Amino acid sequence: MSSQKKRNFQIEAFKHRVVVDPKYADKTWKILEHAIHEIYNHNASGLSFEELYRNAYNMVLHKFGEKLYSGLVSTMTQHLKAIALSVDASQGPLFLEELNRKWMEHNKALQMIRDILMYMDRTFIPSTHKTPVHELGLNLWRDNIIHSPNIQTRLKDTLLEIVQKERGGEVINKGLMRNIVKMLMDLGPAVYQNDFEKPFLDVSANFYRGESQQFIECCDCGDYLKKAEKRLNEEIERVSHYLDAKSEVKITNVVEKEMIESQMTRLVHMENSGLVNMIVDDKYDDLSRMYNLFRRVPTGLMLIRDVMTSHIRETGKQLVTDPEKLKDPVDFVQRLLDEKDKHDKIINLAFNNDKTFQNALNSSFEYFINLNPRSPEFISLFVDDKLRKGLKGVSEEDVEIVLDKVMMLFRYLQEKDVFEKYYKQHLAKRLLSGKSVSEDAERSLILKLKTECGYQFTSKLEGMFTDMKTSQDTMQGFYEAMGPALTDGPTLTVHVLTTGSWPTQSTTTCNLPPEILTVCDKFRTYYLGTHNGRRLTWQTNMGSADIKATFARGQKHELNVSTYQMCVLMLFNNADRLNYKEIEQAVEIPAVELKRCLQSLACAKGKNVLRKEPMSKDIGEDDEFYFNEKFSSKFYKVKIGTVVAQKESEPEKQETRQRVEEDRKPQIEAAIVRIMKARRVLDHNNIVAEVTKQLQSRFLPNPVVIKKRIESLIEREFLERDREDRKLYRYLA
Amino acid sequence: MNKLGRGHRDKVQQFMTITGASEKVALQALKASDWHLDGAFDVFYSQPHPKTFTDTRHLEELYNRYKDPYADMIMADGISTLCNDLQVDPQDIVMLVVSWHMKAATMCEFSKQEFVGGLQSLGIDSLEKFRERIPFMRSELKDDQKFKEIYNFAFGWAKEKGQKSLALDTAIGMWQLLFEEKEWPLVDHWCQFLQARHNKAISRDTWSQLLEFARSVEPTLANYDAEGAWPYLIDEFVEYLIENGIIVK
Repeated sequence: MSSQKKRNFQIEAFKHRVVVDPKYADKTWKILEHAIHEIYNHNASGLSFEELYRNAYNMVLHKFGEKLYSGLVSTMTQHLKAIALSVDASQGPLFLEELNRKWMEHNKALQMIRDILMYMDRTFIPSTHKTPVHELGLNLWRDNIIHSPNIQTRLKDTLLEIVQKERGGEVINKGLMRNIVKMLMDLGPAVYQNDFEKPFLDVSANFYRGESQQFIECCDCGDYLKKAEKRLNEEIERVSHYLDAKSEVKITNVVEKEMIESQMTRLVHMENSGLVNMIVDDKYDDLSRMYNLFRRVPTGLMLIRDVMTSHIRETGKQLVTDPEKLKDPVDFVQRLLDEKDKHDKIINLAFNNDKTFQNALNSSFEYFINLNPRSPEFISLFVDDKLRKGLKGVSEEDVEIVLDKVMMLFRYLQEKDVFEKYYKQHLAKRLLSGKSVSEDAERSLILKLKTECGYQFTSKLEGMFTDMKTSQDTMQGFYEAMGPALTDGPTLTVHVLTTGSWPTQSTTTCNLPPEILTVCDKFRTYYLGTHNGRRLTWQTNMGSADIKATFARGQKHELNVSTYQMCVLMLFNNADRLNYKEIEQAVEIPAVELKRCLQSLACAKGKNVLRKEPMSKDIGEDDEFYFNEKFSSKFYKVKIGTVVAQKESEPEKQETRQRVEEDRKPQIEAAIVRIMKARRVLDHNNIVAEVTKQLQSRFLPNPVVIKKRIESLIEREFLERDREDRKLYRYLA
Repeated sequence: MNKLGRGHRDKVQQFMTITGASEKVALQALKASDWHLDGAFDVFYSQPHPKTFTDTRHLEELYNRYKDPYADMIMADGISTLCNDLQVDPQDIVMLVVSWHMKAATMCEFSKQEFVGGLQSLGIDSLEKFRERIPFMRSELKDDQKFKEIYNFAFGWAKEKGQKSLALDTAIGMWQLLFEEKEWPLVDHWCQFLQARHNKAISRDTWSQLLEFARSVEPTLANYDAEGAWPYLIDEFVEYLIENGIIVK
């Protein structure tokens, strides 16, 4: 035996002999290619996912990614081209169905392919910035199918045709539409927009343009709006059923523009059915529809508002300048309130309580109410009517409602000081005749006026109430003090009025009958005894009296008369016949008043306690008057007095207006002085502007009157003109 | 003086007579105003110059000549006599200028203070000097600034003592007089308008503003500004002119 040599025994690692066989890549690719074919031919079930994945993985690993990718591209393209032919070959309605079916198949295939090629998707593609598989699949579909010339046009036309059919009322396959549209959306926004949406919007615009023309010729406004609304809703529904949600605003814009915006002026002004007619006829539904449709369009609401405003102004103007409607002031004001209520309701129910509409309504009312200079007087008469009898038996809440409505009208008045004057007059009459329905209601209204206009407005009014209360106490004191001495005279009730608080009346002469004079003097003595330094003047033109009269067959009546009437009637206690001149001499009442008084006693039906010869309506200087023995009345108490507030006669109106103007002068001067004291130096136009602003809550001052007041102040050395600039005024301390 | 040309010599002579100044002063003033008499007067009177000597005794005599027998004032009769002596019509507007110099409070009377003081300031102590001064005083009306002062002075002077405003008739008379001097084409219409529409006294503000109006607003009313803060009476006047077609706008 030979000697043993030690040998190092090395175990080498098992080297897998990877043969980088160029043919290897081809072979692998062929396998994959075959797989793709099978997938497209619906034979995927025979494939092994694991094997295919591994093959793809190996190719990428051995740096054959490029080959794999380009192979994928060409294979897929090949198949898609074939699909395109097949789709294009289908006829009529089958076109979309075929397209849809092929699309779904493609998506399934694409998914499988992507799964197989997942490794490449995750490594090779990102590093080489190539399009990922799924996206690639979509792009290829887009380029080879959708954008193949025939299909592109045919697809677009078919889709639009279907939409048109639906608009025509036909039933369509919404599901199919949805799928096709979704396909376009999946292919990217550019595809959806260019291949469908843009043409869709263009065609729709043309369609609706035509429809709007057609409808406007044959429909009235209300019907047109209904149709437009219907179309609009249809489009919204269409979008929800099978279009991209983003298309909604675009298509609704088209409908709004073609059906609403282009026709809205014509609609609003349509004869017999336009906006004005709807308002007049209270067509809430139609108006609401118009509002909701027009608000979608930039100037739609403005159009409605403007037309409504000029309509209200016009009707309002007619209302306040129509002599027929002005005959009864209470009725007139009630109409104003009704108009306001009507339009408030329209704005509430149909115009969504839109504030701009409310403002337009308010400014319109303000405009036309002030067109009639008698508005303040009439509103005061309305209030007077309510507070005298209109609110009898009405609940407290309802009273408040009526008073609030009155306040609303009051706010519209520009000449609030005129209202104040009349209100005072009418309140005085109500208080003195005891004709107020409820003192609470009176006080409530005064409180509202105070809140609106401040303390000065109402301080005098409150003074009137105080006087009434005080007078009650005074009367009590009088009767307690004088008790026994008064039992056989007539019963006297005196209201002592503080001069500043009550409306000014010029005192007139009047000879009271001796019985009355006696008791009046007793009161005077009593009063002046307890109130030093005061002066009392009897206001004979504001008083009233209750007289018991006995007629021919012993009938007795109690007559409620004014003081003047009492003086005249008492004369007939001592004479059966008197002529005008004798009466005039005896009572010394001024002619105008006396004639009116005699008319009410002798010429009024049912109240003629005197008889006149001749029987004419007017009082002549030679007329003779007799006590009317034959007077009769159903009622025991007969009211003949006239101390109720009425619409003023022309001369009275002038007088009141003059007094208002006189009252305004000191107010304007006070404002000027206030302003100049603060500013020291100011030019003419600015003074006028400031004065107007300061006084606007009471009345609108006339610039000419302001100028005159300034000149008066210059003369009285409150102001002077600047030596250099004659338009500038300076305050003189 | 001999070196001067004839025209200039005459002017110097005139100047000396009217102002009572010396030849030297006369030459100075005339040279300064480029030999225009009016300008020379301005120059002379605007300079503070040594008071020209006036004989107070003479002034006393003059005053006593015209003074009213019962009061220490010159009244209407005295003024009449004065005008006679001056050979000037009592209605002549130059009397207004005289009154202005005297700072007279009311028309148709001069207090001693006013009379004597006024004449002193004018450097007059004799009737002769007074007479010679009349043309100069007339010339003062041509000066815009002086006219304005005289015009505004006239209001206080012409109105009744103790009244704030000027009676309409007097005002109209004054306006007609004043605007004869300083012409204003609308003066007659203005007076007619007042008589037809206003019939009340004129306030001081209206009086003074009227001059502004006459000066700044053209007779065609082309540049009349309705927002120009003119007294309301003037605004009404403009309306009157337009209403009656006198002016067409």
